[in-house]
Amino acid sequence: MNSLTMLYEGRNLISEKPVVVIDIGRAYTKCGFAGESAPRCIIPSEFLCKSTGASKKVFDYETRDQLYQNFVEFGHILFFKYLLVTPKDRKVVIVESLLNPSLERDTLAQVLFSYYELSSVCMVPSHMVSLYTLAVPTALVLDIGYKEAVLIPVVENTPVLHAYQALALAGEAVELNLRKLLESQCKEEEQFYLKAKPLPNSTVEDIKVRGCFVTKLDRAQMIQASVKEPSVSAPTPPPDLPYPLGGDRSITIPGTSRELAYEVLFELDNDLMSIATMILDAILKCPLDTRVSLAENILLIGGTSMALGLKSRLQQELLDLLVTPQYIKKLALKKFCFHNPPAKENYVAWLGGAIMGATNSIVKRSVTREDYSKVPKIPDWADLSFNCNDGVKRG
Amino acid sequence: MAFLMYGDPKVKYLCSCGSMKPISRIYFCRHCMKIKCGFCVSHEVDLHYCSNCLENLPSTEARLKKNRCGYCFDCPSCQISLNTRAVSQAVPNPDDPSKMLSKKSYYLVCAFCRWTSREASIPDQNVANGGWPEIDCPNSKRVAELVDHYQEISLQEKDEEERKKKYQVRPSYFHYAEKYGLSAALAKKRMGGTPQRETRTQQSALVPAVASEEVEELSDSVFIEQLELNKVTTIKQRLASPEIQPTVVSQLYPLHKSLLVKRSLRCRDCEHNVSKPEFNPSSTKFKIQLSAFYHVPDVKFLTCEPVFIGKRSELIITVCNPTQHQSSFKMHPFELNLGAKGSGDAEESAPGLKLCLPECARDAQFKINGTIKLPTTEFQLLPRDDTAEFDDSNKGPTFNDDPKVVVWRRGNKIALRMAVSPDADAEGVLSIGFVIEYSYVNTMTTLEKKEPQKVKLKTHILLRPGPIFKSSQ
Repeated sequence: MNSLTMLYEGRNLISEKPVVVIDIGRAYTKCGFAGESAPRCIIPSEFLCKSTGASKKVFDYETRDQLYQNFVEFGHILFFKYLLVTPKDRKVVIVESLLNPSLERDTLAQVLFSYYELSSVCMVPSHMVSLYTLAVPTALVLDIGYKEAVLIPVVENTPVLHAYQALALAGEAVELNLRKLLESQCKEEEQFYLKAKPLPNSTVEDIKVRGCFVTKLDRAQMIQASVKEPSVSAPTPPPDLPYPLGGDRSITIPGTSRELAYEVLFELDNDLMSIATMILDAILKCPLDTRVSLAENILLIGGTSMALGLKSRLQQELLDLLVTPQYIKKLALKKFCFHNPPAKENYVAWLGGAIMGATNSIVKRSVTREDYSKVPKIPDWADLSFNCNDGVKRG
Repeated sequence: MAFLMYGDPKVKYLCSCGSMKPISRIYFCRHCMKIKCGFCVSHEVDLHYCSNCLENLPSTEARLKKNRCGYCFDCPSCQISLNTRAVSQAVPNPDDPSKMLSKKSYYLVCAFCRWTSREASIPDQNVANGGWPEIDCPNSKRVAELVDHYQEISLQEKDEEERKKKYQVRPSYFHYAEKYGLSAALAKKRMGGTPQRETRTQQSALVPAVASEEVEELSDSVFIEQLELNKVTTIKQRLASPEIQPTVVSQLYPLHKSLLVKRSLRCRDCEHNVSKPEFNPSSTKFKIQLSAFYHVPDVKFLTCEPVFIGKRSELIITVCNPTQHQSSFKMHPFELNLGAKGSGDAEESAPGLKLCLPECARDAQFKINGTIKLPTTEFQLLPRDDTAEFDDSNKGPTFNDDPKVVVWRRGNKIALRMAVSPDADAEGVLSIGFVIEYSYVNTMTTLEKKEPQKVKLKTHILLRPGPIFKSSQ
């Protein structure tokens, strides 16, 4: 441990119990302690179900009670396998999306207060706290996670909620697309094998992470043109990739599949939407005087945005879309700038929560166990009982 | 043993929280004399230890070391403990260059996947333990600056709030302050306070991040060069070190082994421990272990005739007294007043903090689809005597048992015969239940009661003897 981290850990020594920061994602959960520069663990959001013996996703539920049970089981993993602290009487920061369903956040709060007996819970919106890692007041935050890509512009530390954009274009869509591509582009005997025995999700994810990349715009346009008109020749595909399956088989992943897997994020869908149009549409919905600064402060977070070549492709797409008839008259932007937060993209939001958790403001903004025992509710921007003047009064 | 640990057990006990568990998974709190299970006790971290070197670390030290062992490493490639391997090299003697000296050096190697610390280009070490170079988080300095910056802002915010409060019109207590000589103290406090506030208003020189137009381009080699899958790390390998997340195998770096904890369990009602492990990490024993099978009569399923609808089948169960005291038990029909029972305890605490058990789980557990004819007499059970197992003379006291009900009796164990019949519309697996009321001698001494006291306790038991068949041809 170098001297700097030691010095820096001193902060935690002063406060008897360091604040726990948890960001439960659809695919991966980030958790650790406030004030640290990286989470202690990034683990899949799943646990072993005791009755079936199979692994179960945390957000795989039908009723509230099942979700309650899932959170209890998953909490045991977090607190006793990774954080190694007694949860009782501890402060916790939960990083969540502003679009998180109320059912999920209410159930989580119930588990944390009633089951784990935490002393206070502070739920912070992921898009806002991500700016803590940059120390800038205005940015356009695009979170490309596993289930969906959610964009919320933040202007002078205030989220512009009416300009939010959300599309189911994220890690899961890429995996589905890759699966489809493999089933149609592999060699014939391998296609047969893949159809008889579909690849497990973990394998598809592994192929996506290790073998696929986001191609360049000019190549993507050539490929699209060649699909429409046979006369146009497609660019030479990247080399094929032999991929071992289990110990006794291997399949060859065609170069075209490797190149095209991420294209689903950029191809315009039926509503002419892609992650690039999300950014432009959001900027259009924001006030005129903020547009330039938003375009020059784009922050990409979420695990899928770590894909090889995604950032440069997104920039090319944005510049390319600017001159299309849809935007040319409305947007007078010249450049798009991207932030480099002091973290890997997949834990930027966590780091924001960790920075906030290390300051005094958490004391003021948390819901304490005492408050919760009087009114078993957690403040919610979508709940009018908190947003009106005569709303629920605490304390 | 496997049937106790996994799968669906045939005999389940009702825990005081409402869930049903086999006897191997429940506890008996001797203070509030209730059955508790892993779900409804509160878990606490008792001690941190390394599973490789079995050394225990005090919790402050564990926190300082980020819950990792200082000496043991995990393989970054397959997450299995690394071994230290010694090699001796011949080096020239500094005093006499013509002679060679053998010098030992050490490197780390994984016995499973053959990864070595040399692959990460870590130089071999001269000592076997420790001394391995550490890798630093590249962003920790910036993050520390950010934390300081925001801490300053939040303190400023707090100050401003306090100042606002100060200027509020409120009744003056100055005459009190003068009367009791507080004014001097107040003035001192103010004098000390003012310069502090001034330093706080100075903004720290934190440079906000600047976005750049230049982003990393995808290199053209991706389209030409053959990708070597063995050189690219898997997502598990990347996430094992969250701060670095290496993408190529050569960047993998040995991981300090994560510590494990021993847990102690505490009853939520009376705050007494139901399970507390011994402090020594290498010991698997417990200081306190109030498992239910030491205290609650152990009901075991012995045999059952095949179950047909509309027919009575014979069921034989054994009941065993695990305590050191003579016990008696009686059986009652299963009654479902759970809702009332569960909420009775919980309503005392605040509504928001009620420990809730998923309703769905509760319903599924209590689907009773048969009837059982229970014996009405009370049975006596001898105390547990480990030597009786080897004593064939069978000289124990004789009981006046009804041979129609009692199949046999041996020491502290009794086998009972009962008739079961499924409901007319029953399907799947027959499940029946009964309540066992047993006498329990509580030897816990409290301030008020020094003598061991005998109490009657009730426990709900659910039996699942086997599948139901439609007809009896």
